[in-house]
Amino acid sequence: MSESGLSHPAAGVMAYQDRPNPASLADILERVLDKGIIIAGDIRVNLLDIELLTVKIRLLVVSVDKAEEMGIDWWRHDPMLTVRERGLAEENDELRQRVEELEAGGGSGGG
Amino acid sequence: MAEQTAQQTTGAPAETPASRGRYLYAVSRGLDLDALGGLLGLGDADVEAVEVDGLVGLVSSVDLDEYGEEGLRHNLERLDWLETAARGHDAVVQAAAAVAPTAPMRLATVFRDDDGVRRTLAEQHDRISAVLDRVEGHEEWSVKVLTRTHDEPPTTPASSGAEYLRRRQEARQARDDDQRDAHVAAEQVHDALVGLAAASRRLPPQDPRLTGHAGTMVHNVAYLVPRDLSDAFAAAVGDLTGDHREVLIDARGPWPPYSFAILEEP
Repeated sequence: MSESGLSHPAAGVMAYQDRPNPASLADILERVLDKGIIIAGDIRVNLLDIELLTVKIRLLVVSVDKAEEMGIDWWRHDPMLTVRERGLAEENDELRQRVEELEAGGGSGGG
Repeated sequence: MAEQTAQQTTGAPAETPASRGRYLYAVSRGLDLDALGGLLGLGDADVEAVEVDGLVGLVSSVDLDEYGEEGLRHNLERLDWLETAARGHDAVVQAAAAVAPTAPMRLATVFRDDDGVRRTLAEQHDRISAVLDRVEGHEEWSVKVLTRTHDEPPTTPASSGAEYLRRRQEARQARDDDQRDAHVAAEQVHDALVGLAAASRRLPPQDPRLTGHAGTMVHNVAYLVPRDLSDAFAAAVGDLTGDHREVLIDARGPWPPYSFAILEEP
Protein backbone atom coordinates (compact mmCIF):
# COMPACT_ATOMS: atom_id res chain seq x y z
CA MET A 1 0.00 0.00 0.00
CA SER A 2 1.64 3.19 -1.14
CA GLU A 3 -0.85 5.60 0.34
CA SER A 4 -1.28 5.49 4.10
CA GLY A 5 -3.78 8.29 4.44
CA LEU A 6 -1.93 9.64 7.46
CA SER A 7 -0.15 12.91 7.59
CA HIS A 8 1.29 15.18 10.20
CA PRO A 9 -0.88 18.24 10.74
CA ALA A 10 2.12 20.53 10.59
CA ALA A 11 3.29 18.97 7.36
CA GLY A 12 0.06 19.96 5.69
CA VAL A 13 0.01 16.96 3.39
CA MET A 14 -3.53 16.14 2.58
CA ALA A 15 -5.10 12.83 1.94
CA TYR A 16 -8.03 14.17 0.05
CA GLN A 17 -7.35 17.68 -1.07
CA ASP A 18 -4.60 19.87 -2.34
CA ARG A 19 -5.32 22.93 -0.21
CA PRO A 20 -3.39 22.23 2.97
CA ASN A 21 -3.79 25.48 4.85
CA PRO A 22 -7.53 25.91 5.00
CA ALA A 23 -7.92 22.34 6.18
CA SER A 24 -5.42 22.56 8.96
CA LEU A 25 -6.79 25.95 9.96
CA ALA A 26 -10.16 24.31 10.47
CA ASP A 27 -8.51 21.59 12.53
CA ILE A 28 -6.53 24.06 14.59
CA LEU A 29 -9.45 26.37 15.29
CA GLU A 30 -11.62 23.44 16.17
CA ARG A 31 -9.07 22.48 18.78
CA VAL A 32 -7.76 25.73 20.22
CA LEU A 33 -11.19 27.38 20.39
CA ASP A 34 -13.37 24.45 21.32
CA LYS A 35 -11.01 22.16 23.16
CA GLY A 36 -8.19 22.35 25.65
CA ILE A 37 -8.39 23.07 29.34
CA ILE A 38 -10.52 26.00 30.38
CA ILE A 39 -8.93 27.87 33.25
CA ALA A 40 -9.91 31.36 34.27
CA GLY A 41 -6.91 33.57 33.76
CA ASP A 42 -6.54 37.05 35.19
CA ILE A 43 -7.68 38.50 31.92
CA ARG A 44 -11.39 38.07 31.80
CA VAL A 45 -11.87 36.90 28.29
CA ASN A 46 -15.42 35.85 28.47
CA LEU A 47 -15.30 32.27 27.29
CA LEU A 48 -18.80 32.73 26.04
CA ASP A 49 -17.39 35.22 23.62
CA ILE A 50 -15.05 32.60 22.33
CA GLU A 51 -17.86 30.12 21.97
CA LEU A 52 -19.77 32.71 20.07
CA LEU A 53 -16.80 33.36 17.90
CA THR A 54 -16.65 29.69 17.02
CA VAL A 55 -20.24 29.84 16.01
CA LYS A 56 -19.53 32.90 13.99
CA ILE A 57 -16.68 31.31 12.15
CA ARG A 58 -18.77 28.32 11.30
CA LEU A 59 -21.73 30.41 10.30
CA LEU A 60 -19.66 32.85 8.37
CA VAL A 61 -18.60 30.13 6.06
CA VAL A 62 -21.71 28.00 6.04
CA SER A 63 -25.06 29.67 5.89
CA VAL A 64 -27.48 28.69 8.64
CA ASP A 65 -29.72 26.93 6.16
CA LYS A 66 -26.87 24.98 4.65
CA ALA A 67 -25.61 24.02 8.09
CA GLU A 68 -29.01 22.77 9.17
CA GLU A 69 -29.42 20.90 5.92
CA MET A 70 -26.16 19.17 6.76
CA GLY A 71 -27.43 18.36 10.23
CA ILE A 72 -25.14 20.86 11.92
CA ASP A 73 -27.16 22.44 14.67
CA TRP A 74 -25.00 21.81 17.68
CA TRP A 75 -25.08 25.44 18.75
CA ARG A 76 -28.78 25.03 19.54
CA HIS A 77 -27.92 22.48 22.20
CA ASP A 78 -24.92 24.17 23.73
CA PRO A 79 -25.94 25.22 27.24
CA MET A 80 -23.26 27.88 27.28
CA LEU A 81 -24.85 29.46 24.28
CA THR A 82 -28.49 29.07 25.14
CA VAL A 83 -28.08 31.01 28.37
CA ARG A 84 -27.00 33.87 26.20
CA GLU A 85 -29.62 33.41 23.59
CA ARG A 86 -30.50 37.06 23.50
CA GLY A 87 -26.89 37.98 22.89
CA LEU A 88 -26.64 35.28 20.31
CA ALA A 89 -29.59 36.64 18.40
CA GLU A 90 -27.90 39.98 18.23
CA GLU A 91 -24.69 38.37 17.14
CA ASN A 92 -26.53 36.46 14.49
CA ASP A 93 -28.02 39.61 13.11
CA GLU A 94 -24.59 41.13 12.80
CA LEU A 95 -23.43 37.90 11.34
CA ARG A 96 -26.07 37.75 8.66
CA GLN A 97 -25.13 41.23 7.69
CA ARG A 98 -21.52 40.19 7.42
CA VAL A 99 -22.31 37.10 5.42
CA GLU A 100 -24.18 39.31 3.00
CA GLU A 101 -21.24 41.66 2.80
CA LEU A 102 -18.88 38.80 2.20
CA GLU A 103 -21.07 37.25 -0.42
CA ALA A 104 -21.50 40.55 -2.10
CA GLY A 105 -17.93 41.70 -2.08
CA GLY A 106 -15.61 38.73 -1.75
CA GLY A 107 -14.34 40.13 1.60
CA SER A 108 -11.37 38.95 3.62
CA GLY A 109 -12.80 35.66 4.86
CA GLY A 110 -10.20 33.39 3.32
CA GLY A 111 -12.25 31.88 0.50
CA MET B 1 6.65 44.51 46.14
CA ALA B 2 5.87 46.94 48.97
CA GLU B 3 9.37 48.37 49.13
CA GLN B 4 10.20 51.22 46.85
CA THR B 5 13.60 51.43 45.26
CA ALA B 6 15.35 54.73 45.31
CA GLN B 7 16.95 54.65 41.89
CA GLN B 8 13.65 54.48 40.07
CA THR B 9 12.69 58.00 41.05
CA THR B 10 14.53 59.60 38.14
CA GLY B 11 13.56 59.58 34.49
CA ALA B 12 10.41 58.47 32.77
CA PRO B 13 9.01 55.04 33.56
CA ALA B 14 10.45 52.78 30.86
CA GLU B 15 7.51 50.45 30.61
CA THR B 16 4.62 49.99 32.93
CA PRO B 17 4.49 46.38 34.09
CA ALA B 18 0.75 46.40 33.55
CA SER B 19 1.22 46.54 29.79
CA ARG B 20 2.53 43.00 29.63
CA GLY B 21 0.75 39.80 30.55
CA ARG B 22 1.69 36.14 30.68
CA TYR B 23 0.08 33.83 28.16
CA LEU B 24 -0.28 30.20 29.24
CA TYR B 25 -0.09 27.71 26.36
CA ALA B 26 -0.09 24.38 28.10
CA VAL B 27 0.90 22.56 31.24
CA SER B 28 3.39 19.73 30.94
CA ARG B 29 4.94 17.33 33.38
CA GLY B 30 8.68 16.80 33.65
CA LEU B 31 9.40 19.03 30.69
CA ASP B 32 12.91 20.36 30.23
CA LEU B 33 12.68 23.75 28.53
CA ASP B 34 15.91 23.03 26.64
CA ALA B 35 14.10 20.23 24.84
CA LEU B 36 12.02 22.88 23.05
CA GLY B 37 15.16 24.24 21.41
CA GLY B 38 14.60 27.96 21.95
CA LEU B 39 11.06 27.84 20.64
CA LEU B 40 9.37 31.21 20.22
CA GLY B 41 5.79 31.86 21.17
CA LEU B 42 3.22 34.45 20.12
CA GLY B 43 4.83 37.63 18.86
CA ASP B 44 8.18 35.81 18.75
CA ALA B 45 8.50 36.06 22.53
CA ASP B 46 10.62 33.52 24.40
CA VAL B 47 8.72 30.59 25.83
CA GLU B 48 9.45 30.24 29.53
CA ALA B 49 8.54 27.77 32.24
CA VAL B 50 6.60 28.41 35.45
CA GLU B 51 6.94 25.37 37.69
CA VAL B 52 4.68 24.29 40.50
CA ASP B 53 5.21 20.96 42.19
CA GLY B 54 6.08 18.93 39.08
CA LEU B 55 3.80 20.84 36.72
CA VAL B 56 5.46 23.03 34.12
CA GLY B 57 3.37 25.88 32.79
CA LEU B 58 4.63 27.12 29.40
CA VAL B 59 4.24 30.86 29.19
CA SER B 60 5.41 33.84 27.23
CA SER B 61 4.94 37.58 27.59
CA VAL B 62 2.22 39.20 25.55
CA ASP B 63 1.20 42.78 25.09
CA LEU B 64 -2.01 43.48 26.97
CA ASP B 65 -3.04 45.97 24.35
CA GLU B 66 -3.38 42.93 22.17
CA TYR B 67 -4.23 40.23 24.73
CA GLY B 68 -6.07 42.22 27.38
CA GLU B 69 -9.82 42.10 27.68
CA GLU B 70 -10.48 44.89 25.27
CA GLY B 71 -7.83 43.84 22.78
CA LEU B 72 -9.02 40.26 22.72
CA ARG B 73 -12.62 41.22 22.28
CA HIS B 74 -11.62 43.12 19.20
CA ASN B 75 -8.95 40.78 17.89
CA LEU B 76 -10.95 37.58 18.25
CA GLU B 77 -13.30 38.97 15.65
CA ARG B 78 -10.54 39.16 13.06
CA LEU B 79 -9.94 35.90 11.29
CA ASP B 80 -6.42 36.86 10.22
CA TRP B 81 -5.43 37.71 13.82
CA LEU B 82 -7.14 34.60 15.07
CA GLU B 83 -5.33 32.39 12.58
CA THR B 84 -1.94 33.77 13.61
CA ALA B 85 -2.75 33.40 17.31
CA ALA B 86 -4.18 29.91 16.84
CA ARG B 87 -1.15 28.72 14.87
CA GLY B 88 1.25 30.32 17.36
CA HIS B 89 -0.56 28.72 20.27
CA ASP B 90 -0.63 25.36 18.54
CA ALA B 91 3.07 25.50 17.64
CA VAL B 92 4.06 25.72 21.31
CA VAL B 93 1.58 23.04 22.34
CA GLN B 94 2.81 20.73 19.55
CA ALA B 95 6.43 21.20 20.55
CA ALA B 96 5.71 20.49 24.20
CA ALA B 97 3.51 17.48 23.50
CA ALA B 98 6.27 15.98 21.36
CA VAL B 99 8.63 15.78 24.35
CA ALA B 100 6.49 15.51 27.49
CA PRO B 101 2.96 14.71 28.68
CA THR B 102 1.12 17.92 27.91
CA ALA B 103 -2.31 19.34 28.64
CA PRO B 104 -3.14 22.14 26.19
CA MET B 105 -4.94 25.22 27.45
CA ARG B 106 -7.72 26.84 25.53
CA LEU B 107 -6.68 29.79 23.40
CA ALA B 108 -6.17 33.10 25.21
CA THR B 109 -5.55 32.00 28.79
CA VAL B 110 -3.78 35.12 30.04
CA PHE B 111 -2.48 36.14 33.48
CA ARG B 112 -1.16 39.41 34.87
CA ASP B 113 2.10 37.83 35.96
CA ASP B 114 3.79 34.56 36.86
CA ASP B 115 2.30 34.68 40.34
CA GLY B 116 -1.12 34.37 38.78
CA VAL B 117 0.02 31.36 36.77
CA ARG B 118 1.56 29.78 39.88
CA ARG B 119 -1.54 30.34 41.96
CA THR B 120 -3.73 28.69 39.33
CA LEU B 121 -1.40 25.74 38.79
CA ALA B 122 -1.37 25.18 42.56
CA GLU B 123 -5.16 25.43 42.81
CA GLN B 124 -5.75 23.11 39.85
CA HIS B 125 -2.78 20.85 40.50
CA ASP B 126 -4.67 17.62 41.07
CA ARG B 127 -7.14 18.10 38.26
CA ILE B 128 -4.43 18.96 35.75
CA SER B 129 -2.39 15.99 36.98
CA ALA B 130 -5.37 13.74 36.33
CA VAL B 131 -5.55 15.01 32.74
CA LEU B 132 -1.83 14.39 32.30
CA ASP B 133 -2.22 10.88 33.67
CA ARG B 134 -4.93 10.23 31.13
CA VAL B 135 -3.04 11.54 28.09
CA GLU B 136 0.49 10.45 28.95
CA GLY B 137 1.86 8.13 26.28
CA HIS B 138 -1.06 8.89 23.97
CA GLU B 139 -1.57 10.96 20.85
CA GLU B 140 -4.68 12.40 19.33
CA TRP B 141 -5.59 11.43 15.77
CA SER B 142 -8.27 13.14 13.79
CA VAL B 143 -10.25 11.01 11.36
CA LYS B 144 -12.85 12.41 9.01
CA VAL B 145 -15.07 10.73 6.48
CA LEU B 146 -16.53 12.77 3.65
CA THR B 147 -18.78 12.00 0.73
CA ARG B 148 -17.14 12.10 -2.63
CA THR B 149 -18.50 14.77 -4.88
CA HIS B 150 -19.29 13.92 -8.45
CA ASP B 151 -18.14 16.36 -11.04
CA GLU B 152 -21.19 16.45 -13.18
CA PRO B 153 -19.97 16.10 -16.75
CA PRO B 154 -21.40 18.70 -19.09
CA THR B 155 -24.22 16.92 -20.80
CA THR B 156 -26.22 17.71 -23.83
CA PRO B 157 -29.28 19.80 -23.04
CA ALA B 158 -32.28 17.77 -22.06
CA SER B 159 -34.39 17.00 -25.08
CA SER B 160 -37.65 17.48 -23.22
CA GLY B 161 -39.13 18.61 -19.93
CA ALA B 162 -39.63 15.00 -18.91
CA GLU B 163 -36.03 14.24 -19.69
CA TYR B 164 -34.92 17.23 -17.60
CA LEU B 165 -36.98 16.11 -14.62
CA ARG B 166 -35.72 12.56 -14.94
CA ARG B 167 -32.12 13.77 -14.86
CA ARG B 168 -32.78 15.93 -11.84
CA GLN B 169 -34.35 13.06 -10.00
CA GLU B 170 -31.43 10.79 -10.83
CA ALA B 171 -29.00 13.37 -9.56
CA ARG B 172 -30.92 13.71 -6.29
CA GLN B 173 -31.09 9.95 -5.94
CA ALA B 174 -27.34 9.71 -6.47
CA ARG B 175 -26.74 12.30 -3.73
CA ASP B 176 -28.97 10.44 -1.30
CA ASP B 177 -27.18 7.19 -2.08
CA ASP B 178 -23.82 8.86 -1.51
CA GLN B 179 -24.93 10.11 1.88
CA ARG B 180 -26.22 6.73 2.96
CA ASP B 181 -23.09 4.96 1.73
CA ALA B 182 -20.94 7.48 3.54
CA HIS B 183 -22.75 6.95 6.85
CA VAL B 184 -22.38 3.20 6.52
CA ALA B 185 -18.68 3.57 5.69
CA ALA B 186 -18.19 5.96 8.61
CA GLU B 187 -19.63 3.41 11.02
CA GLN B 188 -17.28 0.76 9.71
CA VAL B 189 -14.34 3.12 9.95
CA HIS B 190 -15.24 3.95 13.54
CA ASP B 191 -15.70 0.31 14.50
CA ALA B 192 -12.29 -0.54 13.10
CA LEU B 193 -10.48 2.35 14.79
CA VAL B 194 -12.16 2.68 18.16
CA GLY B 195 -10.72 -0.65 19.28
CA LEU B 196 -7.22 0.77 18.86
CA ALA B 197 -8.00 3.91 20.85
CA ALA B 198 -8.13 4.55 24.57
CA ALA B 199 -10.92 7.06 24.03
CA SER B 200 -12.74 8.81 21.23
CA ARG B 201 -14.68 12.01 20.96
CA ARG B 202 -17.08 13.07 18.28
CA LEU B 203 -16.57 16.60 16.97
CA PRO B 204 -19.02 18.71 14.99
CA PRO B 205 -18.63 18.39 11.22
CA GLN B 206 -16.45 21.13 9.80
CA ASP B 207 -17.80 23.54 7.31
CA PRO B 208 -16.73 23.01 3.71
CA ARG B 209 -15.33 26.50 3.20
CA LEU B 210 -12.76 26.04 5.97
CA THR B 211 -11.81 22.54 4.87
CA GLY B 212 -11.81 23.47 1.22
CA HIS B 213 -13.76 20.34 0.39
CA ALA B 214 -17.20 20.22 -1.12
CA GLY B 215 -18.18 16.79 0.17
CA THR B 216 -20.39 16.41 3.23
CA MET B 217 -18.45 15.51 6.35
CA VAL B 218 -20.31 12.64 7.95
CA HIS B 219 -17.67 11.70 10.51
CA ASN B 220 -15.26 13.88 12.47
CA VAL B 221 -13.84 12.03 15.43
CA ALA B 222 -10.78 12.51 17.61
CA TYR B 223 -9.15 9.30 18.80
CA LEU B 224 -6.80 9.11 21.76
CA VAL B 225 -4.32 6.49 20.61
CA PRO B 226 -1.62 4.89 22.76
CA ARG B 227 1.70 5.73 21.17
CA ASP B 228 2.66 2.09 20.81
CA LEU B 229 -0.47 1.52 18.74
CA SER B 230 0.21 4.43 16.37
CA ASP B 231 1.58 2.17 13.66
CA ALA B 232 -1.34 -0.19 13.96
CA PHE B 233 -3.71 2.77 13.80
CA ALA B 234 -1.98 4.09 10.68
CA ALA B 235 -2.12 0.67 9.08
CA ALA B 236 -5.81 0.35 9.88
CA VAL B 237 -6.46 3.74 8.29
CA GLY B 238 -4.54 2.65 5.23
CA ASP B 239 -6.62 -0.52 4.95
CA LEU B 240 -9.86 1.39 5.41
CA THR B 241 -8.83 3.88 2.74
CA GLY B 242 -8.34 0.98 0.34
CA ASP B 243 -11.57 -0.75 1.34
CA HIS B 244 -13.79 2.32 1.17
CA ARG B 245 -13.13 4.01 -2.14
CA GLU B 246 -16.70 5.29 -2.06
CA VAL B 247 -15.77 7.93 0.53
CA LEU B 248 -12.83 10.15 1.37
CA ILE B 249 -11.07 9.23 4.57
CA ASP B 250 -8.82 11.91 5.97
CA ALA B 251 -6.69 11.02 8.97
CA ARG B 252 -4.28 13.43 10.57
CA GLY B 253 -1.98 13.37 13.50
CA PRO B 254 -0.42 13.16 15.83
CA TRP B 255 -2.14 16.07 17.50
CA PRO B 256 -1.53 17.06 21.08
CA PRO B 257 -4.44 15.67 23.08
CA TYR B 258 -6.59 18.80 22.78
CA SER B 259 -9.85 16.93 22.61
CA PHE B 260 -9.09 14.96 25.74
CA ALA B 261 -7.76 17.77 27.92
CA ILE B 262 -10.85 18.23 30.03
CA LEU B 263 -10.77 18.99 33.74
CA GLU B 264 -12.98 16.66 35.72
CA GLU B 265 -15.37 18.21 38.20
CA PRO B 266 -13.57 18.79 41.50
